[in-house]
Amino acid sequence: MIHLQQVSVVYPNGTRALSNVDLHIERGEFAFITGASGSGKSTLLALVYRDIAPTEGKVIVDGQDIAKLPPRRVPYLRRKVSVVFQDFRLLPDKTIWENVGFALDVLGASRREKHHKVPLTLELVGLSSKAEDYPRELSAGEQQRVCIARSLVNMPPVLLADEPTGNLDPDMSWEIVQLLADIAGQGTTVVMATHDKRIVDRMGRRVVQLVQGMMVRDAKEGGRYDAP
Amino acid sequence: MRLNTIEFLLQQSWEGVVRNGLVSLAAVANIAVALVVLGAIVLTGVNLQHMASLQAEAAVITVDLEDEADTAEIQAALLGRQQVKEAKFVGKDESLLKWAERIGLELPEPDPDRRVKLITELLGGNPLPDSLCVKPVDPQDIPAIAAEAKKIPGVAEVRYGEQVTEKLLTLARGTKISGLVMGLIMGAATLLIIGTTIRLTIYARRREIRIMQLVGATNWFIRIPFLLEGVFQGLAGALIAIIILLPAYSYAQGYIDRNLEFINLVYSTEVLAIFAFGLVACGLVFGAAGSALSLRRYLRVV
Ligand SMILES: Nc1ncnc2c1ncn2[C@@H]1O[C@H](COP(=O)(O)OP(=O)(O)OP(=O)(O)O)[C@@H](O)[C@H]1O
Ligand SMILES: [Mg+2]
Repeated sequence: MIHLQQVSVVYPNGTRALSNVDLHIERGEFAFITGASGSGKSTLLALVYRDIAPTEGKVIVDGQDIAKLPPRRVPYLRRKVSVVFQDFRLLPDKTIWENVGFALDVLGASRREKHHKVPLTLELVGLSSKAEDYPRELSAGEQQRVCIARSLVNMPPVLLADEPTGNLDPDMSWEIVQLLADIAGQGTTVVMATHDKRIVDRMGRRVVQLVQGMMVRDAKEGGRYDAP
Repeated sequence: MRLNTIEFLLQQSWEGVVRNGLVSLAAVANIAVALVVLGAIVLTGVNLQHMASLQAEAAVITVDLEDEADTAEIQAALLGRQQVKEAKFVGKDESLLKWAERIGLELPEPDPDRRVKLITELLGGNPLPDSLCVKPVDPQDIPAIAAEAKKIPGVAEVRYGEQVTEKLLTLARGTKISGLVMGLIMGAATLLIIGTTIRLTIYARRREIRIMQLVGATNWFIRIPFLLEGVFQGLAGALIAIIILLPAYSYAQGYIDRNLEFINLVYSTEVLAIFAFGLVACGLVFGAAGSALSLRRYLRVV
């Protein structure tokens, strides 16, 4: 589903954020990207949703090399690859229902489609009862679940999460990661960048570790945060 | 496009107008003022042109002939020019009759021939020459035709009502030019202020825009609400301009009709409808252009 081949990224200011990364993630897989701050986790994800282009190498998503994707095609890639961030990015003057529906509105969905998909997605993330509330009335964990619902509502095959638990306490973090694992279980490819050691160890899933932009470890099933 | 989508786009743009409150209002007022000024200039120009053409329709060149001139040849020479529509021969007797009528000479004779004879006797001869009455295709060419006619052998004198027509035409031309200049200045100011409101909206909406880009909205989809916002403002300004201009014009027209009978203002519903339509079109174009410029500069597309 996601294939990085000999990818390097050098930012315009000269910072080398990734060096010769080779990474292959299959459909329906759940993978952690770990590494210290500044190791290139966000940069790696940004390549996949085409917020940046690689300086060298190929980035293949769903069979398509997106390294040279023309700008007008980027929106169509984003419909297949959605992103969840640490800071939720909800619209404060819209209800939870509207926040999730917004993602469908901007894709030109019909009202009927919206009324079908939004409740289903809210149920998936366990927020059906909060549909009419506003973001400020929700806990941080709940807000993150709204953000995940918004990313999922148009049923993308790939979900990227950049430190989705960064602002959450351990219990809430665990809930969110469980939710992401469930989503992966239903066939969505999920890639999560994190430096939450406890979560990574407790989950025991695939772990890709970056050190200063280089991929130093790719532990398949049963991965731990620290190298054994 | 789906109903839901149209509703969404309209709502987004309306929110932009409302959110910017006073600035939107300023933009609308600016457009209204610009269009009122432009509209007034256009109406003035149209009327000057109209008056000039009324004048021009009546405008002719009188070419007086020498006694032994070859009338047919001069007539042919004049008609040979493209600018000349008609060159009618007017005999000296006919001119004499017209002159007599004009000065209000009271004659007991009803028969034209006898009248001519009577006046000639009275004056001891007919002092008027034979002449050609020349009508131009375009009244603008009158001075040129007159100058040419003077050069033809056998032509004694050339006369035309130069003052009024020429002045009106000059005035109409001047109005057109000043209208253009004002239009450019006002247009630039309008683009600037609409651009500013759109820029504010882009700023206020930056989070929303980012989310839209992340969930895969196309660039056009993201731009449309901003364009519509500019268009809303343009249309509102145009409506205000129409509400101010049309009644004012109708009032002026009534006043002039009553007090200055020799001036005839254009007042056909058709012309005014076209005029109103033009204002709306201007508002629309300015609104869309203002926001388009701002979008180009300030909206970072993917
Ligand atoms: N837009 C940018 N321009 C220049 N350098 C950048 C830019 N974004 C990131 N970098 C640099 O690239 C390197 C990798 O950054 P990145 O954000 O990918 O790290 P990260 O692993 O996500 O860190 P964190 O855990 O703090 O989020 C860092 O050295 C960072 O300073
Ligand atoms: Mg990061």
